[in-house]
Amino acid sequence: MSEDMNISMMLSEQISRLLTKHVNRDAWIRAEEGQLDSDLWQEIENQGLTLALVGEELGGAGLGWADIEPSVRLCGQHAAPLPIVETMLGNWILSQAGLESVAGPIAVSSSLFQINENGCLSGQDEQVSWLHQSASVVLIAINSHGERFVCRVDSPFNGRKVATYDRQPCARLELDGVKPNAHAEERGKLANLGLMPYMAALRSIQIAGAMNHILGLCIEYANTRVQFGRPIGKFQAIQHMIADLSGQAAACQVAGLYAARQIDNGHPEYGAAIAKTQTSMSATRAATIAHQVFGAIGVTDEHSLHYYTRRLWQWRADAGSDYWWADYLGEKALDKPGADLWNSVVSRSVTA
Amino acid sequence: MTSSFSFNPLPLPAELDSLRQEVRSFLGEASKDWSGWKIGHSWTGFDKDFSLEVGRRGWIGMTWPEAYGGHGRSGLERYVVVEEMLAAGAPLGAHWFGDRQSGPLLLRLGTEKQRREFIPRIVRGEASFCIGLSEPDSGSDLASIRSRAERVQGGWRLEGRKVWTTNAHKCDFMIGLFRSKGTAKEDRHKGLSQFLIDLRTSGIEIRPIHDLTGEAHFNEVVFDNVFVPDDMIIGEEGNGWSQATAELAFERSQPDRYMSCFPLLPMTIDRLRSTDTRDRLARQRIGGAIAETVVLREMSLSILGQLESGHSPANEAALVKDLGNSHEQRIPELVRELIDSPACIVESDTFNELQGYLTQTVPTFSLRGGTREILRGIIAKGLGLR
Repeated sequence: MSEDMNISMMLSEQISRLLTKHVNRDAWIRAEEGQLDSDLWQEIENQGLTLALVGEELGGAGLGWADIEPSVRLCGQHAAPLPIVETMLGNWILSQAGLESVAGPIAVSSSLFQINENGCLSGQDEQVSWLHQSASVVLIAINSHGERFVCRVDSPFNGRKVATYDRQPCARLELDGVKPNAHAEERGKLANLGLMPYMAALRSIQIAGAMNHILGLCIEYANTRVQFGRPIGKFQAIQHMIADLSGQAAACQVAGLYAARQIDNGHPEYGAAIAKTQTSMSATRAATIAHQVFGAIGVTDEHSLHYYTRRLWQWRADAGSDYWWADYLGEKALDKPGADLWNSVVSRSVTA
Repeated sequence: MTSSFSFNPLPLPAELDSLRQEVRSFLGEASKDWSGWKIGHSWTGFDKDFSLEVGRRGWIGMTWPEAYGGHGRSGLERYVVVEEMLAAGAPLGAHWFGDRQSGPLLLRLGTEKQRREFIPRIVRGEASFCIGLSEPDSGSDLASIRSRAERVQGGWRLEGRKVWTTNAHKCDFMIGLFRSKGTAKEDRHKGLSQFLIDLRTSGIEIRPIHDLTGEAHFNEVVFDNVFVPDDMIIGEEGNGWSQATAELAFERSQPDRYMSCFPLLPMTIDRLRSTDTRDRLARQRIGGAIAETVVLREMSLSILGQLESGHSPANEAALVKDLGNSHEQRIPELVRELIDSPACIVESDTFNELQGYLTQTVPTFSLRGGTREILRGIIAKGLGLR
């Protein structure tokens, strides 16, 4: 086992311990009211998770994307009501451009902004999670020569609040002639889609985590809920639905990790396209099955299921839906003769 | 972190590329005259000459020990060869069952004599095997089989019948499951044994079963007082149930469980391009199929990695087959949605023939090798339901 894998395992064990202890219904409700749990945030930061992807020379752990996949999956598994993955991404892209990382939560926009000759930013993003609770926003801006800049700006706290399915704090971001606090050109990692593939990879991994949790809930409920004199899990109809759900969960687990590995392998867009198409598609099916298994109790406010299914409906849309990314993949495939299709599948294998 | 299943990734070493290119250039030449109908059959299509050529090139029994004529190569090398063959819709049927199932079974449980006698012939593509499991009254409920093996001087006498035996009329050998002790009522999973049967033995009658495509690729095989010598029992007498189910578990996650319709996708892309149909629906459907293919391939590779390192992820394999079959079955419908083609089969039109064949054949994909319902039962049990 490599040293990075060791660090990755230790990190995910710590994160698991923290999230198990602190994330519960009360924590979800506080987040939906717009509060960020700063004590828990501090503990997460102390574990080094928010700087996990940042190189060691810049004060981070220098882990790869595949290394942090288990921790990100845990954030999904616990429906962690904090901008952990956004902050990981924000700090990572800052470090990729040679900029210093920042302490505290970071909001990230996956939209592309414009930057003019005077270094002023303009543009908007209709939906930025945790914008008002974060001191900084990290975004990508493009200038008239097509050069891309990683920018960090102070969070404008005046953006209109946006109601989302997951009810996590979210607001509209509009910049009009704002100077970034820090910016630097980034030449290596960003193609036309900016941060979108990276956010799509993170959401895919979170979906996998949430789905695994939902699977566990369904199994437990089916084994304990008694109707017609026996646990409903004895009925084949229920067994087969849950087996179907487990297939979706497994596919998502594989797809999420695939996206992370493809980032490490230098194909972030392709990895995100495959993963987000699969996970967003599966999210729909999983939510449908879970609610069917739970019956009416599953849609009540007091039950925890909806904290997960609402996130699935949120995350399947974030950073490009299954339909958006399938369209992206299909367009590329239709650009080339059919004979190229198989080679495009195998030539993008993650190699050892 | 806790997860209900294990799917550690298995990356492909870059050095496998030359092997892949070698297979591809062979197929490029070999596939020139393949009709859509032939491509559709893929791993069930029986073409002895093709299998002999594949054998000559060292692509059968690739991972088996050299002592028995195998090629001592890695599971990954075999995977590359197999997936290239399936992507092209190559007719693998004459060696597929021996390569995928019977050979590994003999290597695992066969006697030294059995290995020496049969493995080299499978490797050369000479000996074709079929699998005798189902019976007229025993499909998914395999343990209820009634075909019997009775002890006689120097061996066994077989009585009974097997059905749905793919390519039995063209094969040389069958590995068949027979009850050698007790009854299905009392013993269920005990008392079954596997026999290696030479299909030329007297008393065997092979009758074609015509299917809905108008062909007869599967058969009813009747055993009337058929003698099998003692040394042709496989593994342990009475242990046939666990041997046969382990065999099924091994084959469940291979690429033949999600690639049976793959050849239709490139042809669909060419059709869409030729009519400049690249609308949103076409892009989304094609993209969705690609994403599913890639994810299934990653899952299948992961299981290969686990098998190679000595684990037996039976639940994961069942899960991949269930997902894979559902994916395969959607492809002809996806194509029908995108390309409005009439329901007729035009012989010279490869695309049209392939679409016609697969449309009529996909219902069997979630039957063969364990029905969807059986698989989901296995998966549910593995999850702790029941």
